Amino acid sequence: MNGVVLPVVLPLLAAFLMQPLAHKSGVTARLLGPLVLAIGLAMLVQTWHLAQTDPFTVTFGGFAPPLGIVFYVDRLALIFAIAAQLFTLLLWGWSMDAQFDGEKKAREDALMLLLAASATGLALSGDLFNVYVFYELMAVSSFGLVVLKDTGPAQIATLRYLLISAFGSVIALLGIAFLYAQTGTLNLAQLGELAPKALHGPAGLAAFAFMLIGFGVKAELFPVNTWVPEVYAVAPARIAGLLAGLISKLAALVVLRLLVVVYQDTPAPQLLLVLGTLTVLVGDFSAWRSKDFPRMISYSSIAQLGLVFIGFSIPGPLGVLAGLSVALHHLLIKSGMFMLATRWSGSLDRLAGCAKSAPVATGLYLLFALSLVGVPPMPGFWAKLLIMTGLAQEGSVVYLVALGVVLLGSIVKVHYLFRFALKLYGRADLPPVRHSLMELGPAALIGIAIIAATIFTVPIGERLRAVAEQAADRDAYISTVFPDHKTAAVSEDRR
Amino acid sequence: MRRFAALLFAGGLGFVLLVIVTQLNLGQTPMIVGQEMLNVAGAQVGAANIVTSVLLAYRGFDTLGELSVLFAAATVIGLVLGHRRSNAAVDPDGGFVLQAGADLLFPLLLVVGCNIILYGHLTPGGGFQGGVILAAAFFVGVLGRPSTGLDHSVIEVIEGFAGSAFIAVGLWALFAEGEFLMPMLDPGTVGDLISAGTLPLLSLALGLKVGSELAGLMTSLANTEAGDP
Amino acid sequence: MIHLDYVTILYVGAIGLLAIGAAGLVICNNFFRILLALVVLEAGANLLLVLMGYRGDAKAPILGFGPDGAQMVDPIPQTLVLTAIVIGVAVQALAVSILVRVFRSYGTLDIRELKARFEHDIAVEMGIEPPRGGEAPAGGRIQSSGPPNFRPPESHS
Repeated sequence: MNGVVLPVVLPLLAAFLMQPLAHKSGVTARLLGPLVLAIGLAMLVQTWHLAQTDPFTVTFGGFAPPLGIVFYVDRLALIFAIAAQLFTLLLWGWSMDAQFDGEKKAREDALMLLLAASATGLALSGDLFNVYVFYELMAVSSFGLVVLKDTGPAQIATLRYLLISAFGSVIALLGIAFLYAQTGTLNLAQLGELAPKALHGPAGLAAFAFMLIGFGVKAELFPVNTWVPEVYAVAPARIAGLLAGLISKLAALVVLRLLVVVYQDTPAPQLLLVLGTLTVLVGDFSAWRSKDFPRMISYSSIAQLGLVFIGFSIPGPLGVLAGLSVALHHLLIKSGMFMLATRWSGSLDRLAGCAKSAPVATGLYLLFALSLVGVPPMPGFWAKLLIMTGLAQEGSVVYLVALGVVLLGSIVKVHYLFRFALKLYGRADLPPVRHSLMELGPAALIGIAIIAATIFTVPIGERLRAVAEQAADRDAYISTVFPDHKTAAVSEDRR
Repeated sequence: MRRFAALLFAGGLGFVLLVIVTQLNLGQTPMIVGQEMLNVAGAQVGAANIVTSVLLAYRGFDTLGELSVLFAAATVIGLVLGHRRSNAAVDPDGGFVLQAGADLLFPLLLVVGCNIILYGHLTPGGGFQGGVILAAAFFVGVLGRPSTGLDHSVIEVIEGFAGSAFIAVGLWALFAEGEFLMPMLDPGTVGDLISAGTLPLLSLALGLKVGSELAGLMTSLANTEAGDP
Repeated sequence: MIHLDYVTILYVGAIGLLAIGAAGLVICNNFFRILLALVVLEAGANLLLVLMGYRGDAKAPILGFGPDGAQMVDPIPQTLVLTAIVIGVAVQALAVSILVRVFRSYGTLDIRELKARFEHDIAVEMGIEPPRGGEAPAGGRIQSSGPPNFRPPESHS
């Protein structure tokens, strides 16, 4: 079970060795990345089968928590860890270009591996500062991947993204500092234990607000999501898919863990609800106004993430389930949409009439759009239904306003998504745009996954419900990390 | 108008921070984990410098992550700046003072850097601090004579293998004792040069990696072509 | 009379650095100055974090150093700051390299001009009208170069 650190450590090792290896043998270097990710994926899937019922912890260095760092492995963490390795593998850049720059490719592969390693570590970690370090690693790798296309606009967009991200990191660090000053520990489970006494005042809530804004940069939260449309317009589409699909969900997962373990029974969820609602509003209306495909789907992804946060702000397992379903659904849909956007990266008008020349791609787009809007029986419908019932159940004013916004957002979504679909089926004025197999392949796989999810909604729903129950159980978290409920007041012996 | 809004924002942020800071119990923060570490670090890890033992033993995994961040940044800089065209103009060599100063500083900085790395578990210092000084030692040479670049392939090899050595020590612990990055070898007596188990090895790997990485990074930045608009 | 010991000055100084950095981030019109404001911001944050571990009349956390029996300061914030400083330096170096490239591509580092040219370049690449009107930066209108023209889709590399 201690081998669960390997999916994090092996990609790091491979990344360090990538460049010297590329000099010696180009072929090995190109194959190493996907191989390491496949091994990591296999290990995580095996852990999923073994750890069917109870979560477990893995300590580092033989130092029991809270002295050492722990990995907390429950099913929620495993889902996201598996998603991290799987989607990095799926959206890997197999460049078959004629002009092949071996060194540049080695660097790109190293950055992808670092992204996968940090995403996996983020999903599994149970220590707040460890989360911060992996978050920074994710950020720096994403800067490099966004600026891959060596164009002027890419550089400007990366620069603005970097500055906003660095500002967010400073704010998050301040939040961690305030949290530490009030509790004296960085271990999430121990924070959860001490929170009722130490964190109920305004200073504790302020620490949460700072951390929310800090981690919210990557999670595309209002007001720190101004970087999103610029970056998604200039990054290679598969990188945009990785960022929008995977990375943003991991940042949201961090906020969820904080909310569930540390900040339960505080006004913190309300703050999240307000910001989430604003995010949905801004996202959907900007998507309605946008004129090109990549930016339309990037704004819509902002709106979906707002929906995820609204879901997480509903207390109890229902909230976790609602947010989780939207998050997983969006992970699939957006990655697929961005794969379609590799060729459809132009103005919406320019893509008129593509239905005749690219029927598969158009069909996939329709499938994704239907699920995104929430047409039954597609999985998107169930996810949205969960959110709306959760909001309606809460009943207080803030939650009902959020419900209204969600409904409004859905209406706007229908309009802009199907406006584009109509265009696709309209007259073809300009030469057609076709996708290559490399790009259509992953999108088609995702389409098949969506159809499978539609058929198997009930069993998947049951499994997710179990995952959400496990994840929302704060006491289980604390007692798994500290089995004897003895905290650092007693000295731990080294094994 | 914009200046006023900015001052308002900064003032508001400063005010909020002041309020929060006065709410915290500064000077008497609950040092739960910290106090525990101070009590047991000497016996458990064996390093006299408790900050180093926290950095490399208790929170060694964070240090690995930090190492990777530095590596990622160096990789991105290599990606962004690329290689200079070989026939591009080069900055002229520095004058006598700069060159002589660089030549004198190089061995001094090298010794100081190695000292800080090797004694990192006994006195304030460690891998990062010493590594930065080592990087500076190699970089002053480039500053003095811009025409002599640093050999990037050597830097890449040192970088790669030092980083892998750090992970390899951790993996050795994983396979031998069952936990990643557990300090192996004998803790020894506090205060000796050979003490604290594998900590000095980790420190050394860290110092080499950081030094080579920063030297390469600074040289890439310095090598952006002379005479650009 | 407020008791002004040197630690209070440090706290106020750290918060002041944070405020100055934040102001610089919002006010400055040149990307390099924004980066410098970020450096100041990070310095302030690191200082504040180290101060979280302060104990009055305590000694450094090194065994066998300083008077026996004296308390030691908290080692954890020091480790956290070490990590934060290194990460900050890495990001700043990265930012500088991207600044160099932006300057090489555009010849300027002014944020308003770069934003306008960014929007224009993206619009041209996508084949939509370059933005005007409501999307022009505050304080000026952007004149696009002549009437918009649709270009046939270019092949993507």
